[in-house]
Amino acid sequence: MNLLKKLSLWIGFAIALLVLPRFFDSILATSILNQMAIAIIFALSYNMLLGQGGMLSFGHAVYFGLGGFMAVHALSMIEFETAYFSVTLIPLIGGLFGLAAGIFIGSFSTRKAGTVFAMITLGLGELVAASSLILVDFFGGEEGVSADRTFGPEFFGVDFAQSIEIYYLAAAWVFITTVLMYLFTQTPSGRMANAVRDNPERAEFIGYSARKVRFISFCASGFFAGVAGGLFALNYEIVTEENLNAATSGRVLLMAYIGGLGYFIGPIIGAVVLTLMNSLLSNYTELWMLYLGIMFVLTVMFLPQGFAGFIMMHQSAWVRRRLRYLILPYLTTGIPALVFVVSSVAMLEMSHTESDVFDFLGIPFDPSGWLSWLVLAATALGPGCPVCDTPFPAPAFRCLGISKRRQAETGLRPWRYSP
Amino acid sequence: MAILSLKNVSKKFGETEIIRNVSLDIVEGEKHAIIGPNGAGKSTLFHLISGRHGVTSGTIEFKGEPIHNLSPYEITRRGLARSFQVTNIFPRLNVFENVRCALLWSMGYRYSFWTLLGRAEKLNQKARATLNEIGLADKAHYPAGQLAYAEQRALELGIAIAGGGDMVMLDEPVAGMSHSEAASAVELIRRVTEGKTLVMVEHDMGIVFDVADRITVLVYGEVIASDIPERVRANPKVQEAYLGAAKEAEENA
Repeated sequence: MNLLKKLSLWIGFAIALLVLPRFFDSILATSILNQMAIAIIFALSYNMLLGQGGMLSFGHAVYFGLGGFMAVHALSMIEFETAYFSVTLIPLIGGLFGLAAGIFIGSFSTRKAGTVFAMITLGLGELVAASSLILVDFFGGEEGVSADRTFGPEFFGVDFAQSIEIYYLAAAWVFITTVLMYLFTQTPSGRMANAVRDNPERAEFIGYSARKVRFISFCASGFFAGVAGGLFALNYEIVTEENLNAATSGRVLLMAYIGGLGYFIGPIIGAVVLTLMNSLLSNYTELWMLYLGIMFVLTVMFLPQGFAGFIMMHQSAWVRRRLRYLILPYLTTGIPALVFVVSSVAMLEMSHTESDVFDFLGIPFDPSGWLSWLVLAATALGPGCPVCDTPFPAPAFRCLGISKRRQAETGLRPWRYSP
Repeated sequence: MAILSLKNVSKKFGETEIIRNVSLDIVEGEKHAIIGPNGAGKSTLFHLISGRHGVTSGTIEFKGEPIHNLSPYEITRRGLARSFQVTNIFPRLNVFENVRCALLWSMGYRYSFWTLLGRAEKLNQKARATLNEIGLADKAHYPAGQLAYAEQRALELGIAIAGGGDMVMLDEPVAGMSHSEAASAVELIRRVTEGKTLVMVEHDMGIVFDVADRITVLVYGEVIASDIPERVRANPKVQEAYLGAAKEAEENA
């Protein structure tokens, strides 16, 4: 019974992975779910570096991409019968290649954390991305390398021609790798990674080489990034330079950060949110990258612990059964905040539109008339924060409209921006 | 028998010689205090012994083997533990994890990534015992960075002694504490270093003469006396260089 309680979170996770495609069963939904699965593993692997080990990497896509390229080559080998194994193992090939790359690069890049490490990863990221256009045999130049995943022995009668079949395979890999990455945090190496992140000097004075501790995390992280790359290769059947360049490295950093570095579950949340924004928001607006950037800045400033941190902030209120005290303050700040966001979005979109009439939520605005701008600006800045009686918006984000008394009652401690 | 032996140790930072030709023996099991005015090089000497800095010349032997210019973790693994003058803990880990991490190497876990710490009963028991010893058992789940100053100093000491080193070096363990905090800290130090060799840097003369079996006086990077407390107190050179200076300061105050 105790064991069941301990495992309930994992069982819930497994069930969620299994039932999700029953609720979201369109082709688009399946493709988004597959992207999410890949992003979750990738973001969790990134958090092994930054969140757990204190290593800020600007080149994590290198291991994702190299794993992906190797996986796509392995797929071709299965297709041309130079190798004979099930494609379910393709992510493992990607992982092992990511691990090999991690061992090689980690051997000299993990000497120091901080700026030195960040600069090395940035340089290596550029180096690998550039050489991917030169070493055409392995990287396939600009068009990349493609393969067909339907060859090789069938897996219990499944040939993975359908993308829903890939989803279940990806879900299995997500589950396995998430469990493994979680267990890693509970081992001596995983714990010492936290210790080295906090204070590398003291770690040396309790008997551990900070460099070796970082190296182990770095290699493990390379392995799991490679697994994610292998899944990518399997899902899209093509890998290109885009999969190991700086943009991909930047995206995984955003996922981990927005989700919350300090919590194991953070990168999972980040991966889900960013994948959704990436694939859904981009259908509605060309400005989605701008919104993503704004969201990142706001997260860094007002929720330095990420979405996961924001959720965990309510733990004490939940334990004390006082969440209901927060409903009113959340409404009184949430509604003005929503008005502010909607009006700001309208102004941004209106400035971007090329047509003569800008239709927003059924209301026609005239982009060239000053009245439209005035109306939107007034609605954006109009409502102040009713709880702390200060002009909107900044203080509302900062205090979330929760008075000192409510904070004391619920135990909610908003994270403040401290530069 | 000397557990630690320094021979003609010098340390230069650029052209400035901070430690000049220091020779010093620490006898196994003794409580040894290093005193001296500000800037005398006491902390630097600690850093040389514990491997934070390399020596410019001379040799340091620990248990008969040379340790100068080894890295801190190699020296720690040989059984030489130390604490720091400025609190040097793992601020985001909780108190329990701080102590448990300090125990890992000595209990043979090395860089294992296949052992689950939750199941390591002996390790967890020992970590809890250490927490009891330093009086932080009820704060076990607090992030270490949130502890009060005196508690952080206790944790600092706990991390240093947890690894079970035969020799413990404490750099100003009671600096910045109130009188009563210092008194209980001294009690704690006495208790946890029982049967071990202790070397400490301390400014509080009351504590030094109370705890130490022998005292070494360091002035401008040179050892001017190293003896039992009574003879150090009586040494005219020491009185002139150190206690005299303190007396003068007192008179001026």
